[in-house]
Amino acid sequence: MTRSRLFAFLAALLLAFPAATAVAQKKVLRIAFRTAETGFDPQRVFDRYSVGVCENLFEPLLTYDYLARPARVVPLTAEAIPEPEEGGTRYTFRIKPGIYFADDPVFKGQKRELVAKDFEYMVKRFRDPKNRSPYEWLFENKLLGLDELTEKAKKSGAFDYDAAVPGIEVRGKYVISFKLKEADFNFLYVMAMPNVVPMPREVVEGYAADTHAHPVGTGPFILKEWVRRSKIVLERNPNHRGYELETRFADPADPWDRKVMESLHGKRLPALDRVEISPIEDEQPRYLAFLNKEHDVLDETPFSFIHQVLPNGKLSKALEKEHMNVFPELQPEITYDVFNMDDKVNGGKDNPVGGYSPERVALRRAMVLAHDRGQEISIIRKNQALPAQTPVPPGVVGYDASLHSAEQDPDPPRAKALLDMFGYVDRDGDGWRETPDGKPLVIQYKYNIGGQEARQLAELWAKSMKAIGVHLEATAVQFADLLNDKRVGNFQLAGSAWIADYPDAQNFLQLLYGPNTNQSNEARFKLAEYDRLYEKSQGYPDGEERNRLYREMNRLLLAYAPWRLGVHRIFNHLQYPWVKGYKKHPILYTNFKYLDIDVAAQQAAMK
Amino acid sequence: MSAVLTNPPLPPMQESPGLWSLAWRRLRQDAVGMVSLVIVTLFIAMMAGSYFGLIAKDWNKEKGVSYANPSFLAGAENLEARSMASKDGGVKAPPVDLSDIDPLAPRYKEWDERAAKIAVTETKRAEVLPFGGDKWGRDVLQKAIKGSEVSIFVGLSAALLATLIGTMLGAAAGYWGGWVNDALEWVYNVFTSIPYILLILAFAAVAASSGKFGKGILPIVLILSLTGWTGIYRLMRAEYIKHSNREYVKAAQAIGASNWSRMFGHILPNVSHVSLVQLSQHVVGFIKAEVILSFLGFGVPVDMVSWGTMLAEAQNELVIGKWWQLFAAGASMAILVTAFSLLTDSLRDALDPKLK
Amino acid sequence: MTAYVIRRLWQMIPTIAGVILLIFFLFNWVGGDPAQVLAGKISNPEQIANIRKQLGVDQPYWYQLWVFVQQVFTFDFGRSWSTNEEVSRILLTRVGPSLTIMIPVLLIETVLAVLFAIMVAYVRGSLTDRAIMITCTVAMSVSFLVYIIVFQWLFGFILGWFPVQGWSESFWKNLTTYAPLPIMLAVFVGLAPQLRLYRSFFLDEINQDYVRTARAKGLSEKKVMLKHVLRNALIPILTNIGISLPGIFVGSFLLEVFFSIPGLGREIITAVNRSDFPVIKAVTVYLAVITMIINLLVDVMYKYVDPRVSFK
Repeated sequence: MTRSRLFAFLAALLLAFPAATAVAQKKVLRIAFRTAETGFDPQRVFDRYSVGVCENLFEPLLTYDYLARPARVVPLTAEAIPEPEEGGTRYTFRIKPGIYFADDPVFKGQKRELVAKDFEYMVKRFRDPKNRSPYEWLFENKLLGLDELTEKAKKSGAFDYDAAVPGIEVRGKYVISFKLKEADFNFLYVMAMPNVVPMPREVVEGYAADTHAHPVGTGPFILKEWVRRSKIVLERNPNHRGYELETRFADPADPWDRKVMESLHGKRLPALDRVEISPIEDEQPRYLAFLNKEHDVLDETPFSFIHQVLPNGKLSKALEKEHMNVFPELQPEITYDVFNMDDKVNGGKDNPVGGYSPERVALRRAMVLAHDRGQEISIIRKNQALPAQTPVPPGVVGYDASLHSAEQDPDPPRAKALLDMFGYVDRDGDGWRETPDGKPLVIQYKYNIGGQEARQLAELWAKSMKAIGVHLEATAVQFADLLNDKRVGNFQLAGSAWIADYPDAQNFLQLLYGPNTNQSNEARFKLAEYDRLYEKSQGYPDGEERNRLYREMNRLLLAYAPWRLGVHRIFNHLQYPWVKGYKKHPILYTNFKYLDIDVAAQQAAMK
Repeated sequence: MSAVLTNPPLPPMQESPGLWSLAWRRLRQDAVGMVSLVIVTLFIAMMAGSYFGLIAKDWNKEKGVSYANPSFLAGAENLEARSMASKDGGVKAPPVDLSDIDPLAPRYKEWDERAAKIAVTETKRAEVLPFGGDKWGRDVLQKAIKGSEVSIFVGLSAALLATLIGTMLGAAAGYWGGWVNDALEWVYNVFTSIPYILLILAFAAVAASSGKFGKGILPIVLILSLTGWTGIYRLMRAEYIKHSNREYVKAAQAIGASNWSRMFGHILPNVSHVSLVQLSQHVVGFIKAEVILSFLGFGVPVDMVSWGTMLAEAQNELVIGKWWQLFAAGASMAILVTAFSLLTDSLRDALDPKLK
Repeated sequence: MTAYVIRRLWQMIPTIAGVILLIFFLFNWVGGDPAQVLAGKISNPEQIANIRKQLGVDQPYWYQLWVFVQQVFTFDFGRSWSTNEEVSRILLTRVGPSLTIMIPVLLIETVLAVLFAIMVAYVRGSLTDRAIMITCTVAMSVSFLVYIIVFQWLFGFILGWFPVQGWSESFWKNLTTYAPLPIMLAVFVGLAPQLRLYRSFFLDEINQDYVRTARAKGLSEKKVMLKHVLRNALIPILTNIGISLPGIFVGSFLLEVFFSIPGLGREIITAVNRSDFPVIKAVTVYLAVITMIINLLVDVMYKYVDPRVSFK
């Protein structure tokens, strides 16, 4: 007894020392991004990584609950979620008083409070042509009088920020009311987007030359250091009011929710002192650096290494010994291939895959049936993907689990039968089928030049088509050119992907809406019936009627096949055991503000 | 990185009609040179064999399971293949009926009948392949053979083209001098002032975005040769400057040989050993450069394979323990490049015994 | 001498003009459209046109070329289209890491190569000589990409001697912690070709008449090597270093990509991928100028090392 007590005493003595230093030790989270960021002016960025950093520097009026699944909107700087007024065309927000921006020399030592005018300024910034905001579409054709202001700015060359816009009403210090041109039941989602956040006008004007480098927000962190494309350091914002974990919507049956609640119970957040982010584009170093404990979290484990991390779907023994946690996430996104539906490629050459006649539909449907999606999932995605049945991914409002069609599942015999039936046969015996009128049939597939994955997808297309005698030529194109080609219809077939801006099916179904051609409708799909259904669905809030319309639209997509539906990818996020409070959010990219670090364990492991 | 090193200009040599036969005699006495020659010949034979479809014809066939084990590791666990076998469930709900909107609906019955007649042939995939399988289950050994065909072809043709460009321009500048020389020197200075990697990327970007460089492997050949001719040009120019004042050239002029005939009929045979050595050095350089281009995505088309695309594909395979593709491509490339370099050394020694 | 330098400087102008023309032609005319990369997920043709207008890429080519020329002479290339960072700042901050890797590489490589070369030249023709030369040939025949993949995995991960990747603000930490593995790799790859080359320089000199004379005078072989051969072989060696000197500013993009080194090589790749023309223009022009100046310095240095060289 005495001996063990002595031992315990000694142990305590030993422990006391590092524990004492641990208090002073900062809680630092180290993480790698897959791609380099571009900047942190929220109105001027669009890539996930830059927006992900903005999530920590700024605060929108609304946000998503950390734990609620499916994603649920909750107020952040607004007092409450406003009810739609005037038939879904008016939304009025009341801002919580006493929220302050992070300190900045621009404020000349004064505390700067968040007010309604900041939100007015922010919305206007989206529409200022000078800002060339990638998310301008959020407020295009949306608020009363705003489009006219932009038109004026285009003519005069300067955007008049002081002009009154009927669609944006600032009522006093804390109330802002938006009047929409038409009913929109997704407007609240827009106001919860992590880039729909205010930067004070004096900051924007004070750092006009480089707003990307001077993000000043009300968020829990501030940008401490930024070496572009190499290092981003965030530190806790001393001005931030702090908060506690909201557990109202937590699911007690969910082990992740339970763990989060246990480790964050009663804690004042944010808990982290510092976040160090480094973009590492190549997969091997990113993966090995994490295994070497150079990072605490591995976001989106590269597919190539999945069987080493999760052999047979379970954490490997080596990682199990480290008490590693793995969070599998079915992301609200879809990968797909678009056919160009126009008769001519970019107004020039004939496009064999375009058109709405039965024989063209047959060709597309046959190609879809012949594409070996099973290999796409098992070999390229290493089984970390679900075959998509509709353009809408699971976890998104409006997703219809019962919708399923054999038309998107691989079935080469049916593909061949269909081609034979419509006269796509090999007449000259060269092994390739010709068009029904006997012309040679060569289909061009364009893919992005960088990156192994794009190449493998192209390889899969080429060999799947070869198996049914269709000549497909894969052409590697520069990233910028591919974007352009897809936007202006200078392609026949190309890969694409879409990740939810907000968790509503509309965000996906607009990708096939006729008037969105030259914008997001890369397929240039123009079907009157589809457009009619889409426009009608806009007038309904989430519910039975809207779901019925969505289902009809999905059926049209399956019948006309402007897309080959790909997969919904499952990403596996790894964390070392000293990372506490982890749960991946489907819409928000980062979760730094809810994380905590067991510094002692972290330090011990790194020795 | 794989900066092509230019050699110091060679000292003048004795012109003798038996230059080539003498060289051959000297080369035959060089054991290392001969072994290298045999290896290089074997590779070229292999290249020809695969080009004419005698070997590795069905490299593109998926004969094995994903990452099939090599025969010497037959028993090892293969998680990649196992996960492939376990087919995912998918959705079990009854398929949605499209018949009311489907343009193909009128012919559903005919379609079903035809489809039923088409037989499904399920090939059995091997668990083990001689040197293992790649991601798709293709035989890595056959891929490496086919890959060497493409890589050597790219290296050889790019080097030939670069040597041709370099020799022609070098000859023009050295022989004519004057404004021709000034103009070509200007082009040379411009090309060498731009960092090599940027030059490569610039040409590659043009090739990729405009398609003006043609299809297949032609773009790579053009990218490599259009950026890689400068060293040869410099050497050939020096040679031509030296030779155009020699007696034998003056004599040729006296008997009325045209400029053209003097440049290529008289001088070229006497300096061709320099281009030959340059040619073989550039083959090696370009084979290596192809790897870098493939890594950047500017590799051969997807229905072809080269060492570069294999290595780029295999970059994550070492970590997951599937090292054979990296090894097969890396090793066969190393063997050829070693043999080629040693052969080049021997060739230089044989052509210019002073440099021993 | 002064006249020579002035003439050489004068000659740089047409070369710079050529560089400007070539780069402009390759990237601006046939390269990708930067507006597409900047436009985001949803945008209409009007917005694309707006971006193009702001970047100035909707202007006629001759005007854009004129802007480029002005930028060259004012040394002001504006801001990166992709991150909005000042181009001059990008260059200044990225050159440091590249040099942190490449200067040690150049030093170690040269010292080792000269040492080894003089050793094998001393025992030329022997079995040791042949063995070393063949080993070198084998070593340089493996692709750099393979070396990087294997070494990073082996030394960074399996053996854990070095961090897998990383970079810090502290120069010493970089040099002692993050740089050694990439430096080792670059030396490993670069040593063999240098050694082969330098050996041939030494052999060249050994065969010269003056060496024979020195030997005939009764000088020991060691003395001959160090006093005569080394000194004379130094000229081609210096030339060779001069040739490789501009390259150290670019760094090695493969190393920088795999080891997360924020150097210029990686920046060039990103800039090309994102059609970030201001960065491409600036990097090319600055490096072209550096290359030309270094070449001039090497030529001038000749004069001092080897009085036989005359300035034509």
